[in-house]
Amino acid sequence: MDPVLLQSGTPTPTGTATANASASGPITTLPETISGALGLTGVLGDVVGGLIGAFLIANIMLGMTALAGPWAKRKITAAFTDRIAVNRIGPFGLLIIVADAVRLLSKELIVPDGVDRPAWDIAPIILPFSALLGFAVIPFGSGLQLADPETGIVFAFAAASIASLSLVMAGYASNNKYSLLGSLRSIAQNLAYEIPLVVTAASVIIFAGTFRTSEIVAAQTETLVTIAGIAIPGWYAFINPFAFVLFLAANMAEIGRNPFDIPEAPTEIVAGYQTEYSSVYFVLFYLGEFIHIFLGGALMAVLFLGGPAGPVLPGFVWMVIKMWAFFLFTQWARSAVPRVRIDQLIEIGWKGMLVLSFANLVLTAVIVGVIA
Amino acid sequence: MSLEESTPDTVETTTAEEIDALLGDLVIDRDDHLNAPGFVVRPDEVQDTLFRLRDEAGYDHLSCVTAQEYEDRYESIYHLKKYDDPTDEVSVVVPTPTDEPVSESAEPVYRTADWHEREAYDLVGIQYEDHPDLRRILLPETWQGHPLGRDYDQDRPQIVPLREHANPLQEDHQSDAGDTMFLNIGPHHPATHGVLHLKTVLDGEQVVDVESDIGYLHRCEEQICQQGTYRYQIMPYPDRWDYISAGLLNEWAYARVAEDLADIDVPEYAQVIRTMGAELCRIAAHMLAVGTFALDVYGDFTAIFMYAVRDREKVQNILEELTGQRLMFNYFRLGGVVWDLPEPREEFFELIRDFLDDLPEALEEYHDLISANEILQVRTVDTGVLPPEVAKSYGATGPVARGSGIDYDLRRDDPYGYYDELDWDVPVEDGCDNYSRLLVRLREVEESAKIIEQCVDLLEDWPEDERTIQSNVPRTIRPDDDTEIYRAVEGAKGELGIYVRADGTEKPARFKIRSPCFSNLQTLPEMSNGEYIPDLIASLGSLDIVLGEVDR
Repeated sequence: MDPVLLQSGTPTPTGTATANASASGPITTLPETISGALGLTGVLGDVVGGLIGAFLIANIMLGMTALAGPWAKRKITAAFTDRIAVNRIGPFGLLIIVADAVRLLSKELIVPDGVDRPAWDIAPIILPFSALLGFAVIPFGSGLQLADPETGIVFAFAAASIASLSLVMAGYASNNKYSLLGSLRSIAQNLAYEIPLVVTAASVIIFAGTFRTSEIVAAQTETLVTIAGIAIPGWYAFINPFAFVLFLAANMAEIGRNPFDIPEAPTEIVAGYQTEYSSVYFVLFYLGEFIHIFLGGALMAVLFLGGPAGPVLPGFVWMVIKMWAFFLFTQWARSAVPRVRIDQLIEIGWKGMLVLSFANLVLTAVIVGVIA
Repeated sequence: MSLEESTPDTVETTTAEEIDALLGDLVIDRDDHLNAPGFVVRPDEVQDTLFRLRDEAGYDHLSCVTAQEYEDRYESIYHLKKYDDPTDEVSVVVPTPTDEPVSESAEPVYRTADWHEREAYDLVGIQYEDHPDLRRILLPETWQGHPLGRDYDQDRPQIVPLREHANPLQEDHQSDAGDTMFLNIGPHHPATHGVLHLKTVLDGEQVVDVESDIGYLHRCEEQICQQGTYRYQIMPYPDRWDYISAGLLNEWAYARVAEDLADIDVPEYAQVIRTMGAELCRIAAHMLAVGTFALDVYGDFTAIFMYAVRDREKVQNILEELTGQRLMFNYFRLGGVVWDLPEPREEFFELIRDFLDDLPEALEEYHDLISANEILQVRTVDTGVLPPEVAKSYGATGPVARGSGIDYDLRRDDPYGYYDELDWDVPVEDGCDNYSRLLVRLREVEESAKIIEQCVDLLEDWPEDERTIQSNVPRTIRPDDDTEIYRAVEGAKGELGIYVRADGTEKPARFKIRSPCFSNLQTLPEMSNGEYIPDLIASLGSLDIVLGEVDR
């Protein structure tokens, strides 16, 4: 779906974007800062700065994932279910992260008979990397942004949806019927939910008049109203809460969390596409899923919650807080909301959210056209 | 509790003479059991007999099929009841010669006979003509001999290499033309609640056909009981049939049948303790049922599962105080219970009252989290539909029957213990779907709490010198030769019945267990064919089967 939007959507905003962009100009990206600090210029500066920057961002994300996967997820779920969870190793059980990493990596990598290699091996690698790729254009604030291309937000969606390819590969190559069912479900689900997701994001782009993530974030810093001396910023979640809720729901489906965790659906199809994976490959899938949750949170933050904007604390901290808030939300839903059935999911997607998201888009376009 | 209300006036008890007149020539002999008149019919006239009894006398509930081998003959007994009045029973006895044990199948009359006759064939060796699918059901298809037959050689090794077994995937590879996919759900699968194997044929995500393959947990419970003495050696085993905290309910099934067989009285005080303990077990069992059902629909170990287990834990603590055990209670004895309430009694009553006081709030929380949740309603309302006629034909009982609008509860309709002295209701929902079965269980917890509260009130005021926990029971019990009895109680999952034939010794000659889960599980294809996989899983969860009781 993304390429279509890219083609059809690009001509219109480029006119306005070029007009705006030429005025404000792109921000200084992280690679530029690094190469500047190292005193490197030209291609060498781009490459070295880019590599170091990417290494930094990727490690921040992997670090957050490591915290979220083996530890925070357990602690949060335990809090919802009146339990204590990990508390034996290290302070607050934090060292369970190390223990789990060692445990998972030291397990036997079982390769079942009849799997379709190398597709079976590539699939778990694609998933985390597709998500990490999306972070290239996310403005973390405090000058942490790897790239700020004109098509920023579209790139993020495009990169994120490569994940479906990984799930299809995994399911198809596994030579397991549960895996196949899971991967077919994931295709159906992603088709049904990426259109509303992107169309809802498009309504924000109409407001902001640009694809550039830094500018979408910048457009949200203006004060919307001042209530009792507190300035409420013009975050799109406040300007268009309807679009925010739509995007939130579509995002949950896109990253496959409850109530839309159909592709995995443990009680129905065992573990869906990842049924046959163990050891390192399983870790990669697990990792990929969590990075996807954080990417989903980052997109929510950029599009609707003012990105790194926030009082007192530095921008990067705010960005991380917003991403973790979204993560917390997914875990809350996981503990409290039943899973919908596959046909109901598709129905909600095609008959409900698609219509609503287009209505939202048209309405936004009309409002923006009349006011601006 | 008013018996006048519950028994509909329209139902009139059919007397043995009336049945005799109805069946006419079909009856070749009489073989009365302690619980019901028994009519002996020829093996080729089983269907005629049963059709007449069902359609003209209203015996719509085939509770159980017992098969056994005598020295000179095989015998199948069809234990019939009425859903409107389960005390109105009749047994149809079908003898078949030892050299040619072939009898007509009852499957066209009662669909529940399908599995019951397969079990009779599997374990005893009687063959049923006209049966749609007479295969082994509990034992592997390679098994040699019929273990409950007289000439069965127990020492014969039965080791069969894996390659000799039928490959469930074989047929899948043969059909390249079809659009369907064969899928094994289980024996190891997150949602089968034990070791159940569902052979499922899928058309896309939809279930075309599902066949349950059971027997993975078969432990020869019937034979074990046949080798134990009535007095002490059998009582521990019922705990192990439905092992999901329903122990005391199961023990009561044996206690009831043995006490009726040997004509043992139970002191009133012991009956009250039994009633209280049994209802505690029911709450514990239903808590787990609700929790695991939520687990099946929600898909993760979520809040609702933990809350349910938390409340079950409180019940288990109470039961531990009472019986000294948390799971395998072994608390009932013939003629009463093994010991009195724990001292100090006030503290014990306090424990129960604390639990009962907290229960309404906990149930409120369950209703908030599950039954009031709109996604859950979308998932469960009108899925897994089991119409009442179908449910009756399959002999469904317990919450499964009551969720299909069948007002049937042995505690009220065939009273035992102290139930008919207490004030409580039988919850019935007529939605016939997964949601109704869930609601029935949640409402039954409330009713059980009512019963427990009344029992505690009674026990608190019980005069100290009248606290008899056991009547005088002889050390060795030898019921008269050739007395037969079939008795059932309302277990956590439904009608848990036991048939015992005494042969004058201190051990039963035949001990047959009628498991409610066994009959309830048979309804699964009716509920899930044509539905989606998630609904199949939800329906299975709503049946609340325990494989230990299905396979015995």
